[in-house]
Amino acid sequence: MIAALTYEWRRLWSVRSTIVVSVLYLVLIGLIGGLPLFLDKNGPTQSWLGLYSASSNILGMIVLSVVAAQSFGHEYRYGLIRLTLTEFPKRERVLFAKIDVLGVYYLLMMVAGWSVLGLIGALAPAGRISADAEGLSMAGGKLPDLWQILAWGWGYVLIAFAVTLITRNLALGIVLPMVTAIVVENIIAGLASLAKGRLDWFVNIMPFRNGDAWLSGNTDLVQPGLVYFAWVVAILLIATIRFHKSDA
Amino acid sequence: MRVEAIHLNKHYKKVHAVNDLSFTIEPGRVTGFLGPNGSGKSTTMRLMLGLDSGSGQTMFDGKPLTDHSPVTRVVGAHLDAKFFHPKRTAYAHLRMLGAEAGVTKERVHEVLKLVGLETVAKKRPGAFSLGMGQRLGLASAILADPQVLMLDEPANGLDPQSIQWMRDFLRHYASLGRSVLVSSHLLSEMELLADDLVVIAKGTMIAAEPMQQFLNRASGGSVLVRTSDSRRLAQALEAQGLTLVATGVDELRVPDVSTDRVGHIAFAAGVPILELQAERASLESVFLELTEDGQEYRVGGAQ
Repeated sequence: MIAALTYEWRRLWSVRSTIVVSVLYLVLIGLIGGLPLFLDKNGPTQSWLGLYSASSNILGMIVLSVVAAQSFGHEYRYGLIRLTLTEFPKRERVLFAKIDVLGVYYLLMMVAGWSVLGLIGALAPAGRISADAEGLSMAGGKLPDLWQILAWGWGYVLIAFAVTLITRNLALGIVLPMVTAIVVENIIAGLASLAKGRLDWFVNIMPFRNGDAWLSGNTDLVQPGLVYFAWVVAILLIATIRFHKSDA
Repeated sequence: MRVEAIHLNKHYKKVHAVNDLSFTIEPGRVTGFLGPNGSGKSTTMRLMLGLDSGSGQTMFDGKPLTDHSPVTRVVGAHLDAKFFHPKRTAYAHLRMLGAEAGVTKERVHEVLKLVGLETVAKKRPGAFSLGMGQRLGLASAILADPQVLMLDEPANGLDPQSIQWMRDFLRHYASLGRSVLVSSHLLSEMELLADDLVVIAKGTMIAAEPMQQFLNRASGGSVLVRTSDSRRLAQALEAQGLTLVATGVDELRVPDVSTDRVGHIAFAAGVPILELQAERASLESVFLELTEDGQEYRVGGAQ
């Protein structure tokens, strides 16, 4: 297993796009968290948790999903999967190694992102950041805990990873989750509102709306989280079966 | 290491891509894998490596590949000249592939030097020519010094010097007791390279035997004889019931006979022999003869 992890780690860091995406993520998170503090120097005092929750912005996850999609996307696009599976004929080993390395990468980026936000907080104009400030989200709701952000983001990254594995298409792995989260689910929810409640059940099981609800803490903490992570597990399961059954 | 492919089968909906193929790759020998376009050679190789789903087994020294570790010390495969990330340097590509067998940086440099890519080791292979891609593919295959090499059309895009180098390399590799399976469309090259042949058409086995045995399948091998007295020699040969074809003033072609027999007859008749040559069928002629009906994609333009 160590060999598979080493292989995957070298694969990840030997293409420049990983570096580019990582830097882009950190810059983006810095801008999302820092701009409001520096552009509105006389604005209300922000809590540290509020600042760190900038990492729950979906734009950051979309950027990180590029690296997740590349895990298998590059392999199938350039035929490398055949070299990989010749070297590691036990496919579950490849899959676990990719998920493990992606997990480590994701964790590193989250910690690096929070470090950037911490630095920004330290440099913020006087009175804009305080440990005593009340933390509210931009929507006025309860702020998510850091572990919630971590779990929600990991779910999003895994969905991108699994969609790429199912479709064997790098672009789809990035675009499908993004479009579903930002556009499709909102359109469906809008159309469902015209159906006088008859389609509420469908809206209630959509993955990303549940993920957002769980993160916002405005509704029951458990149920939307369960729905969101059930989707993550289901999509990952389909991807795993396809990976094992299909030709390389 | 002995490699046994046992009852390999692969279906694509209505197409039987590989049909019950069984053959052996012996250590110390180069086995050529021949077949017309679309005959199932690449699919067979992928089945052997467990990359495609199908039925049958491939045993490496009596064990499936999954039971070996590290796998890259057992088999090295080169299936396509473009199997690399265009932005990952040749060196990084090999470092990644060397992970399973714990290949050192020194070995990576050694292999790059061996295939002639040392000067472009830190370059991105996106701009590599087909020939350079083939070299990188070969470098990937031999990186961990495997017991078995499986190469799919490795000579495509190589210049004549590189083809000769590859031939010498593969023959040397096999001489170390390793097993080499090479598919190629370059039949003249294969004739110089292979000890054994596996020939398939439309996924079905045509032959799996030593090269010489395969060549002997040709119909109508003949002997060319040059003499200073063709009239007397013709009489002597006809007296032995042989038919002749005069091909020049002092040259005769004698079908369906061995050089030994012609030599003995000439000696008994007291006719001097200036040249005696067995006209062997070429691999190309035998291959075309045997796979005539097994061509999946025929050229239709030529009359």
